[in-house]
Amino acid sequence: MPSNRPSPGKAPLGADLVIPALALGFAAYFFFSIADLVWEAKANGVLIGVILLALIAVQLARLGIRFARGEGDLRADPLWLPRDVLWKRIGMVALTVVFIAALPWLGLTLTLLLAMLAALRLMGVRKLSNLLWVSSGVAAAAYLLFIATLESTFPHGPIERLLAALFA
Amino acid sequence: MTWDLLLGLFAAQFGLWWVILPGILLGIVVGILPGFSPQNTLIMLLPLTLAVPVEQAFAFMVALYCANHLSGGVPAILVRIPGSGGAAATTLDGYPMTQKGQGQQALVLSFVASVFGGLITTLATLALLPWLSQIGLVLRSVEMVVVMLFGLTLIAVIAAKDTLKGLIAGFFGLLIGVIGTDHIYNAPRATFGFLELYDGVPIVAALIGLFAVSEALVMIEEKLIVAAEGRERAMRSNWSETLEGLRISLQKWWHIVWTAFVGLLIGIVPGAGASIAAFVAYQQSRMWSKHPELYGTGVPEGVIAPESANNGVTSGTLVPMMALGVPGGTTSAVMMIVLQYHGMVMGPQLFTSNPALAYGVFVSMAVAYIFMIFTILPLARYMSRIVLIETTYLAPIIILVTIVAAFSERQYLFDMGLALVFGVIGYIAHKTNYHVTAILIGIILGPLFERYLVRALRISEGDLMVLFSSPLGNTLWALLALSLALPFLRTWRQKKALAAERFGGES
Repeated sequence: MPSNRPSPGKAPLGADLVIPALALGFAAYFFFSIADLVWEAKANGVLIGVILLALIAVQLARLGIRFARGEGDLRADPLWLPRDVLWKRIGMVALTVVFIAALPWLGLTLTLLLAMLAALRLMGVRKLSNLLWVSSGVAAAAYLLFIATLESTFPHGPIERLLAALFA
Repeated sequence: MTWDLLLGLFAAQFGLWWVILPGILLGIVVGILPGFSPQNTLIMLLPLTLAVPVEQAFAFMVALYCANHLSGGVPAILVRIPGSGGAAATTLDGYPMTQKGQGQQALVLSFVASVFGGLITTLATLALLPWLSQIGLVLRSVEMVVVMLFGLTLIAVIAAKDTLKGLIAGFFGLLIGVIGTDHIYNAPRATFGFLELYDGVPIVAALIGLFAVSEALVMIEEKLIVAAEGRERAMRSNWSETLEGLRISLQKWWHIVWTAFVGLLIGIVPGAGASIAAFVAYQQSRMWSKHPELYGTGVPEGVIAPESANNGVTSGTLVPMMALGVPGGTTSAVMMIVLQYHGMVMGPQLFTSNPALAYGVFVSMAVAYIFMIFTILPLARYMSRIVLIETTYLAPIIILVTIVAAFSERQYLFDMGLALVFGVIGYIAHKTNYHVTAILIGIILGPLFERYLVRALRISEGDLMVLFSSPLGNTLWALLALSLALPFLRTWRQKKALAAERFGGES
């Protein structure tokens, strides 16, 4: 599918601007947050921040020259392409957000089981037996490692409470 | 130290095989899983290590620690997810080898380099301990600032194809590493209002996000991790791949030796750690190579150098703890707690008051490495099969399980969200060649860099010129400038040679 791959010709320079933009925004926030502090608390941040800003300025100048020469445009294709995978990627990030949000209510084991089922389905796994075996295997391993062995303070849900009652 | 004492210690340590083997196995598991650090595991096992005799406790802790350093390279080679910061450099050539279907061979190279690198430096430490312990005293805060910047610059130059992008990534990471309260007044900086960030950015969440989550988001573009041409080889791999890895390792024995010593020397410097050692060894290996242009495409030396140095660090880290009473890292700090609990006083007097324990620690390390080669080498063939699992299964497992592991360091749900944020940043960096390794090393070095910089500035009452006040520091500055200039010089020479070739062809 040719539309799925970056087109030859002009370089998509927009993608190269994302990390400098994030770094620039963070440096600005950092400087704002240390404005009222004593010099010992801000010396390091100022030194690193100034070097970072100088490096970003050089990168912007370099990209600007390439843009002026007509070698590139502001597209950010490398971040989106191939497009058929983009929705899987966005879906995985969204699913992980839901997974973290649901964890305090459903507990580690059940949340992980449901999240694995949804994630495998999202990735294109259709066979029901594979979906169930892999999801329950991962959830069981996580329970054994994190809750039963390491006694981590993960939120407990119905499965953890049931197993605790059974083995108490 | 007499031969009688040494031989007696070796015999005693071999007798502790029943303590060392579980330590090795646990260390391997902990090292393979990103998010599980040896220090956290040792802290969790403190009730056990405090309850048993000190010799057994130390044999167990040392075995776990060394095995952890060794196995961090396994996920770095197979799925480009380093088990720890020290294995980050291993991804550079280890993963390309996997993509070519040589994952099993890369694992064997990594294991042999790790074991022999660790063993050689441990034996060297035993012999040279009184002199090695002085190195840490030569480097003061001024020199340490330059060492940190030198390490970061090397990583930016080595890891990224574009030096400027590498430097931006490194300094971005360094600034992220400053998040949290300062060391003197506890004033919060850039915490976005989150109390969870007052202690700084958790390294485990950053590591998981930048490597594991971002890599999983990238890998779903392909059906398998292994490139099409390497699939057949990976599927057909048998014991001959292990033997071939052993043959190459033996052929490159000198490479293992000298890169291990790079690790040992850097390990002695408190705080510098395995991540810098591995990158410095990789850079040196590339610099002295006859084919530097092949580095990054999957060459054996690119796996041997960082893994050997990474394990050379293990004995080096313990030197300042044993000889000076200054722990070289978090793991050695935990070990020091156990020793102090048992009434041992660290420092030079330990070698006269309790030589059996002082030297026994390093003998224990040597014995652990000897056991390790027999434990892990046969597993290479089976471990390498993981790359044949389809990414439709592998990616969701990596993302969700490692996000869960992000919780383990501090037991905050917040860290799981933070790992996801780092995952998205890592994905963008990955796709645009702002190398994630440089960001991670920046985050690791950030707090250390600040500690040394502020210490130097307080001594000079805020005068920045203090950074150029020592001959050793100035030499390091010059080397730093040289390492920055070299890539540009190389590009300029290549362009000149190309132009001359073209001109010659036309005429």
